[in-house]
Order: sequence, then structure tokens, then C-alpha cells
Amino acid sequence: MTGGPARTADDAGPAGPVLEVSGLDVHYGPRHRRRPALRGVCLSVAPGETVGLIGETGSGKSTLARTVLGLVRASAGSVVVGGEDVTRHGPRQWRALRRRGVVQYVFQDPLRSLDPDLTVEDSLTEPLLLQGVPREEAAERARAFLPRVRLHEELLARLPGELSGGQRQRVAVARALVTGPRLVILDEPVSALDAATRVQILEILKELRASGTALVFISHDLGSVAGVSDRVAVLHQGELVETGTTHDVVNHPRHPYTRLLIGSAPTLYSAPADRAEREALRALLRT
Amino acid sequence: MVRRVLALTSGRIAAAVLTVIALLALFGPWLAPLDPLATGDNTLAAASGTHWLGTDYLGRDVLSRLLDGSRVSVLGSLEVALTALVAGALPGILSVHWGRVFEWTTLRLADTLVALPFLLFAVAVVALLGNGLTQAMLVTGVLVSPLFYRVARAATLAVARSQYVEAAVVSGASTGWIVRRHVWGKILPPIAVALAQTIGVGFVIVSSLTFLGIGVQPPAPTWGGLLASDLGYLSHRPWAPVAPALLITATVWASNLLADAIRDVSGEAGRVLLDDRGARDGRPDRTDPAPAPAPAGGAR
Repeated sequence: MTGGPARTADDAGPAGPVLEVSGLDVHYGPRHRRRPALRGVCLSVAPGETVGLIGETGSGKSTLARTVLGLVRASAGSVVVGGEDVTRHGPRQWRALRRRGVVQYVFQDPLRSLDPDLTVEDSLTEPLLLQGVPREEAAERARAFLPRVRLHEELLARLPGELSGGQRQRVAVARALVTGPRLVILDEPVSALDAATRVQILEILKELRASGTALVFISHDLGSVAGVSDRVAVLHQGELVETGTTHDVVNHPRHPYTRLLIGSAPTLYSAPADRAEREALRALLRT
Repeated sequence: MVRRVLALTSGRIAAAVLTVIALLALFGPWLAPLDPLATGDNTLAAASGTHWLGTDYLGRDVLSRLLDGSRVSVLGSLEVALTALVAGALPGILSVHWGRVFEWTTLRLADTLVALPFLLFAVAVVALLGNGLTQAMLVTGVLVSPLFYRVARAATLAVARSQYVEAAVVSGASTGWIVRRHVWGKILPPIAVALAQTIGVGFVIVSSLTFLGIGVQPPAPTWGGLLASDLGYLSHRPWAPVAPALLITATVWASNLLADAIRDVSGEAGRVLLDDRGARDGRPDRTDPAPAPAPAGGAR
């Protein structure tokens, strides 16, 4: 890894999955008006694997990510991150786990996820400083990491407001990866970007895959996910309705919702027959 | 931050005025030309070579009393403001981070302090702790603290739920780290404005309590006390309140000016303001590095 800490066999962690979610239930709201956000979700991510998590808005994608990161508490089930069962972790245990840099998160909106008053250098060095890396070394590692996300060193002194959308997202990706995490969850990292910048970010993610980092790529857009993912998991109303290799899910979708997602992907030549098929699938899902 | 504030004209003026006030507070008692407590027959006299600012209703030299009272006045006012800052802003910030029990408790405590009758509570606590300036100002500071609590809490709430704070949490940041690195810089401007206001209010409170015999004991002089006594003899010496009023006004005005300067230069907006000024004056900004050229590989 250029700039980041080179991962050796010793610190690569256990050979098992880097993320293992079993029977996960998450509820929101007060006790007498609890509504389910996730129901019995099971998901496993192997080291170096990229899993695409797709589903429409409100299907529970971000809730799943936030539960894995300890920002939302699970109602039932278990979450194992890097071989450590984190389901009942308290704030102190979570902080210790996070400071080990096992898992990182890339937010959907890079402008809001970067402190407007901190320079790019300050944002990039923050996770390293939290790990106890000396300031000079952290600055050096942040500088050395920039080429991996195709950013110029001179941007280090700039504020997020002085960057373009694509540059901001690359800074957000760099911040998540600079500590060399074993798992990175990307929450719709390209949905707010233009087509050209989107391709650039996706290319960067493909390169990261080769470095051995496991990625969970959350998106409502199957097209973005399919290009970078080994496997795809489809979430519908809080339930994981289909999981399989990207090839299988895209070419042979089994669940009506997956078929609807694929059928709803915008194309240049949308035939009326497609519309009728989509309506039939929607009717099937309602039953 | 200091360099940024001093880059503004208003910041430099505020700093200069407050430095003079601080010097008066430090050296005022030694600079007094006459004994500030010595009474004389020459009462309510006009300005003269002996008494530059005249004498008061007991024949005491007004200039000497102003200089002698500056330390007590400034220290009393600062004590009120700093007590309010610590007792109000700190719980206000932490109420957002330390869970619901702490939040609920501090909110109810702030409500209670607001509901307490100010002077009655001050008199009661001074009766309990003993009469003295420190006790009086501590009580006053605690009673003013809900202002800081509300301001700090409202400003922190806006920041604490932002995604960049969440990103720091995901990286393993503690509450202390988040407050120091992400929260403090953003809530400083409103707190600075509240602090400047409180310093002004502090002068009035010191004089109000002096009038009731709480805190500073007569005949020890304070700026507020001088102003209060001069107002009783307006028909004889209409210009008498000008000197203490000017000192109080200058201190409050400079504090407000400093608070405004801090607000103006804080955060991204402050950086843009200084950049714009630098560009307008045709010189590079002193506080920031030179603007970087467009990145070679970065598609915008």
C-alpha cells in the first residue's frame, strides 16, 4: 500500500470473514411504537472481497452500515467485525476497536462529512492521530497516500469548500483508507457525483480491492455496484431478499424485487413492454 | 485565531482599548495622584490643577477614585463573566455528549437558575458564605450562567449531529477530542459575543450590589459606584458621570468589538473574508498559505 501501513500476514487478522452479520434485527422508535428497520439480516464479507448492498431508499442499507459501525444498536442477532463480536460492545470498547482502524466509513455527502474548518491535511491526519501516530508521521503518511486517490499534494492546505465534488469524495475515501482498515463501508459514494467523476471514483475503488481491503458498497444504483462488486446483496423493506455473485444476481435475478430493480435501471431505449413488466413485478411485491 | 483577529482593524482597535483597560486595572491604584478615600471640604469641585476630574460630594478626588477602583471593577466584571462561562458553557457543551440523564439534569438546573430572583438569591448566598467581592461575583456568575448554557448548547447541537463529527466517532474520537477539534471552534463566536455582553452586564451588577452593600464595601471605589453617586448630584455637576461612564462604555464597546471580530474571522467564512481583504488590498493574505494551482491530475 502506498503511503498507508503495509499489512503483513501477522496483522491481517483471522483468516475468517472480516464481517459476519447473523440474524440482525434493528428497530427504531420508542418501545410502544417500535418499527423494524432490519429483520433477520445475515451477511458475510471475506477479506479483500467487495460486496454490493443495493436497495431503494428506506430499505435499511444505511441502518445496516450504521449498526456494523456501532452508531445504531442491534435489537437482536449478532455482528462480528474483524473476528470480534461487537453486538454488546459499550462506548469504550467501540472506541478501542475503532482506534485499531479495523473498519472505516465513507459518507454519501463528502461536503457534510468533512469539517468545513479543517484543511484536507487536518482531515486526513485525524484518524492517524487518533491511533496515536505522531503528528509529523501522520502528515507524511497523509501526503504519501494522496496519489492513490489521484489528488495533488497542493490540495492539502485547502478547505473542503475550496474543492470540487469529486475532489471532496476522493478526500473522504482517502481519510477512510489512510489507516489501512480491513473493512470499508461506502454509503452511496458516487450518487452525488457527475458521470465522469463517478467513473474515476469507481476506478479508485477497483484499485483498492486489489490491495486486499474488503469493501461494502452501498447504493440504490445497481449499475454502480455491479462494476466493482464480487457479490451483491439485495435489501428490501429491511430484509435481505437475495444474495449471490454479481453475475448471477444481474443475469439471473430470482426475487421479484431484484428483477424490478434491474428492470428499473434507466436505459436509452426503454420499451413500453418493460414498463408493463415492471408494473407486474410491483403488483407481485405488493401481494 | 489571534493573528486572524489582529488582521482586522476592528480587532486591533478592540485589543488596544482592552490593553489600556487591563493596564489601568493592573497599575491604576499606584497611578492615583491622591488618596482616593481622603475626604475634604472642597466638595463637588470642578476640574482643576489639583483635581483633574474634580471632587465628589465628600470632597474626594474623582480621578484617584477612578484609577483606584479600576482593578476591583474590571476584576469583578471578569469574575462574573468567567464564572458564567465555566458554569454555563461547559455543561452546555457536555449536555449534548454525556447522555440523557446529564442533559435533563443540567437543563432543569438552568431553568431553576433563570427562575430565581437575582438580588434575593445573591443576598441569601452572601449571607451564607460571607460578604466579599469574590463571593458576590461567584454567585452572580452562576446566576448569569444559563445564558452561556443555552448559547453553548444550541451551538453544539448543530455541530454534534453533523456527519464530520460522526466520521470522527467512527475513527475512534472521544468526547474531549470532538469538542476540542470540531466543536469548540464553531461555538466560540456566539460564546465570545455572550462573554462580551456579560462583561458589560458585570459592571452594572458590581455597582448594583455595591449599592446594596454586597461585594465591594463603601467607601472603596468602583466605576459603577462612582457613576451611581455622581447621578445623585447631576444638578450640581452635570458632567461628572462622563468619566466613569466613558470607561465603562469603552470597556463594553471594546469587548463587543472583539467578540464581533472573533465571529468575523472564525471558520470558513472568516478565512474567505480575510482572503477577500487580502485580494482587495493587492497583497497575499498573512494568515494563509498562497493559493494552490489547479491539481495536475484532479478532474474538477
